[in-house]
Amino acid sequence: MSKTHSHQDDHSHDAHHGHHQESFISKYVFSMDHKMIAKQFLITGIIMGTLGMAMSLIFRLQLAYPDMKFPFLESIIGHWGKDGKLDPNFYLALITIHGTIMVFYVLTAGLSGTFSNLLIPLQVGARDMASPFLNMLSYWFFFLSSCVLTFSLFVENGPASAGWTVYPPLSALPKAVPGSGDGMTLWLVAMILFIASALLGGINYITTVLNMRTKGMKMTRLPLTIWAFLITAVLGLLSFPVLLGGSLLLLMDRSFGTSFYLADIPADLAGGIERTGGSPILFQHLFWFLGHPEVYIILLPALGITSEVIATNSRKPIFGYRAMIGSILAIGFLSFIVWGHHMFLTGMNPFLGSVFMLGTLIIAVPSAVKTFNYLATLWKGNLQLTPAMLFAIGLVSFFISGGLTGIYLGNAALDINLHDTYFVVAHFHLVMGSAAIFGMMSGIYHWYSKLFGKMMNEGLGYIHFWLTFISAYCVFFPMHFMGLAGVPRRYYANTAYDQFNVFIDMNEFITIAALLGGFAQLIFLFNFFYSIFKGKRAPQNPWKSNTLEWTAPVKHLHGNWPGEIPHVYRWAYDYSKPGASDDFIPQNVPDPGQVDEMQEPDPAKFEPSRTSTPAAKQEVVLFAALKRLFGLARS
Amino acid sequence: MKIITNVLRALALFATILFFNSGFAQTAEEGAQLFNANCTSCHAINEKVVGPALKDAHKRRDEKWLISWIKNSQKMVKAGDPIAVQIYKENNEALMTAFENLNDNQIKSVIAYIKAESEKPAAPATAASTGSSVSNEGASPVEVNANMRGKINWLLIIIAVLLFMVIALVLDILGLVGQIQGKPVINWNSINSKMALLFLIAGMGAVIWEFAAHTKLTVNSYDGASAHSNEYDSMFNITFYLTLVVFIITQILLFWYLFKYKHSKSRKALYFPDNHKLELIWTVIPAIVLTVLVIRGLKTWNDIMYHKDEKAQLIEVYGYQFGWNARYAGADNVLGKHDFREIGKVNALGVDPKDPKALDDVVTNELHLKVDQPVMLKFRAKDVIHSAYLPHFRVQMNVVPGLPTQFAFTPTITTADMRSKLNDPTFDYILLCNKICGGAHYRMKMKVIVHTAGDYEKWMSSQTQYVQNAAPVADTTSTQTQVRVPAKNNKILAIK
Repeated sequence: MSKTHSHQDDHSHDAHHGHHQESFISKYVFSMDHKMIAKQFLITGIIMGTLGMAMSLIFRLQLAYPDMKFPFLESIIGHWGKDGKLDPNFYLALITIHGTIMVFYVLTAGLSGTFSNLLIPLQVGARDMASPFLNMLSYWFFFLSSCVLTFSLFVENGPASAGWTVYPPLSALPKAVPGSGDGMTLWLVAMILFIASALLGGINYITTVLNMRTKGMKMTRLPLTIWAFLITAVLGLLSFPVLLGGSLLLLMDRSFGTSFYLADIPADLAGGIERTGGSPILFQHLFWFLGHPEVYIILLPALGITSEVIATNSRKPIFGYRAMIGSILAIGFLSFIVWGHHMFLTGMNPFLGSVFMLGTLIIAVPSAVKTFNYLATLWKGNLQLTPAMLFAIGLVSFFISGGLTGIYLGNAALDINLHDTYFVVAHFHLVMGSAAIFGMMSGIYHWYSKLFGKMMNEGLGYIHFWLTFISAYCVFFPMHFMGLAGVPRRYYANTAYDQFNVFIDMNEFITIAALLGGFAQLIFLFNFFYSIFKGKRAPQNPWKSNTLEWTAPVKHLHGNWPGEIPHVYRWAYDYSKPGASDDFIPQNVPDPGQVDEMQEPDPAKFEPSRTSTPAAKQEVVLFAALKRLFGLARS
Repeated sequence: MKIITNVLRALALFATILFFNSGFAQTAEEGAQLFNANCTSCHAINEKVVGPALKDAHKRRDEKWLISWIKNSQKMVKAGDPIAVQIYKENNEALMTAFENLNDNQIKSVIAYIKAESEKPAAPATAASTGSSVSNEGASPVEVNANMRGKINWLLIIIAVLLFMVIALVLDILGLVGQIQGKPVINWNSINSKMALLFLIAGMGAVIWEFAAHTKLTVNSYDGASAHSNEYDSMFNITFYLTLVVFIITQILLFWYLFKYKHSKSRKALYFPDNHKLELIWTVIPAIVLTVLVIRGLKTWNDIMYHKDEKAQLIEVYGYQFGWNARYAGADNVLGKHDFREIGKVNALGVDPKDPKALDDVVTNELHLKVDQPVMLKFRAKDVIHSAYLPHFRVQMNVVPGLPTQFAFTPTITTADMRSKLNDPTFDYILLCNKICGGAHYRMKMKVIVHTAGDYEKWMSSQTQYVQNAAPVADTTSTQTQVRVPAKNNKILAIK
């Protein structure tokens, strides 16, 4: 370990500080610098996110006002909105592309791509990624994939319309729905390119974290962000290839007359070739074998960012660092054996349902540990309520609300009546959608100065937070009740059902809240782009944080640090340490007398004895309370 | 004035019926049933649904064209019929289901129905198509000149950007003023912590209001209509109360800490990196709670899914784009064989007319159940995956082409009893599609009727057997033979 990094030091110095004259193309377009690639991922992600959000507003209008005409629709979506009325087939296209964009393009590439790229080299103390070239390819595959998906909006029969999960036969038979024509083929091509991007990125992240840590950066000293990115990359690397296989087989069923996923489909429905012997359920297995880890590919980076932001802004060490790592590992492992909970009602053997239910509900344990650890970190902290901190708190709130409804849906029996209803929509938009978006926002506000050397406007950040937070709850919380009434998701209108039509007022309320949320994002977009040019110049360490990225200069250097890479002497969470003069001690600051980077500080020497700390007293009080509550005897 | 015109129209209609077509009323009535069974998931008379509005369709095209279009619109498009191609394009190339199982006379009666409906004055509650009556009155679009609208849009965007700039500037200036004065003008720290407290109180208030206002709309708020509903609901309630407690405690702590521990220069945060006992407690307690939920859940799941009853009545539920059929196994309680290759050829469901077991099978497009009679639903799909969802019975199962699925349950409350329980005389149980299946997915439903034993037998005896009628003509494939369908039931099936 120590050998590799010193070699790398020399290399980077010589290689990168010699020539500063970079052409526009090598600096901004085909850049191999991880910081520039992070910005490229972020801005592409924001553009795609805006598109996805705009789509959701269009179909929200339809859901709230099924009888009304919106003439402006025709000028946006053309013949799909003839006379201002959204076409039912295009409604399906909108929800499909909205889901695809949000899950893959914003919350996978936009979130992981941005922050893994920005933070992994800076926080582990490396000059750049292990392979800058693969890193560049990763972005350009992603960019290409985004373009293909966007182009698919303009093909004659419209984009893919089989839901973001693209279950065959609906997605395999062009006759089943207009969007299953060329739009679906392009969707699959986009997805294959996307998977290439995710794999190139993932392999790079893992290699960099494992091989390129600076001297003294033990695995147990890594910030939780890096742990989260590492496990995310492992999950992606193991699960994305399965979707790649699944997509290729679907492509063959669509274009080459095979029957991997098709059974008992007569010739006239399937392009003149009778399809027998396949299994539509096979695709669901392959899809969800990625699809469920994907949920954690989205969520873990957001939780990692939250851990870092909450610790820094509480001026407290993250509570239970090792337990946090343990729960990330546990979630990562369990995420691979629970995909079947999306398929309880597909006709799968009920015994398999039992197995998947067991695994699914076990995930609630590490998730609960994480939540309680966040609460314990906030407890008795000195909370700086920066916009980043508020977004991180918002994430914890959504994680609780959405996580708890997971206990209903993970239960195979309860799933019978909740499956594919608005209850599911509410659940995953809270726990995966809103929570992960809030993690991403938190990261953007926190590390904006690392990205652009400027500060974002704080006041606008607060307005953005409160509007978004309130509107997100107003949009998704009421949906639980619609789900409990049995309102199915992906319905163009509820007008054909008297017992669902009673929710028309609620739908209107939700749409108004969604429009408010959309408006709030305009504030963010303005703040984001305005601050690049007009923001206040950033100080080197604006949040008084411990991690290594804040020891690098504000101005971006190829190679990150002008001199030697800092060595690391401690973990990332020495905030408000008793005996220290400041309320933070950066990782590169040794304890008095510490020479060896790998040595842990001696608690007896540098910390006052544990029994006399206020923590211990608090502990006694807390235990007394718990004892009374649960009747536990102290061992 | 309006009354007079209506009366005149009615008279004209009456005259038409009287003088030109004495069988008109009869055919239109039969057509209405066929229309409701086959067409309403995509069409209505006066409004565009998935397909175009059908008002005056008989005037726009001649009967021969309409018959061939309804039987197989794709054939016409492929053959290059200019009108067919145009309609196909106009409707974004959404395919219309082929109805080759309907014979010419049946299609003629559907056209007669459309004619009769078209001649009715457009009533505010659009007829026949759906039970929907909600409309947003006063919500007619304001017509603004398109050019003007474009300008207004740009103006709004510019105003919004300027507004944000002004706010940003003001906030910056206030920040600078604060720096000069040494004391911030806007104390964001205190504002945000108060907002957190406000959000907590208002949010909890809203949650309570929400429960008070909307719980009564959920299906869990009244008894489920099947035998396993009680077990399902008690599982739901246990989960609900446990999660509610956790939700309230954790959310209160979160926002309370945000308020209580806001930044203060005079205070230092507590250095509290870990505590193994504490962590053990909040690992073990959730683990125990979840163990309870898992054990209860597994029991409930197994009770429901492994529910086998020898006496269960067999009913096949057949899903297609975009509708449902129910096929009752008849006296032998065995369903006749079917073959997907024969769908739409021997009959709409592809049931083998030569199979003796099929002779007593009955097919309807409503699902009729007998109260307290265990029933085994066997699901079959024609084209794509559907999902049969009966929320009032806590029943759902995907309907997958090529993969037989099933769900057994016992209905316990008749439709009539449920109506009086809910005090809603129009209430009906439904079976609806809950897996995205195409443009008219949102209208793909089937009425479910639970009878008392006596009513059920009476209803069943009024049904003509499905394949029995068909069998004698099954091999005369060259000529079209119509099975005489009694007007009072919903037979839609005929043999070619």
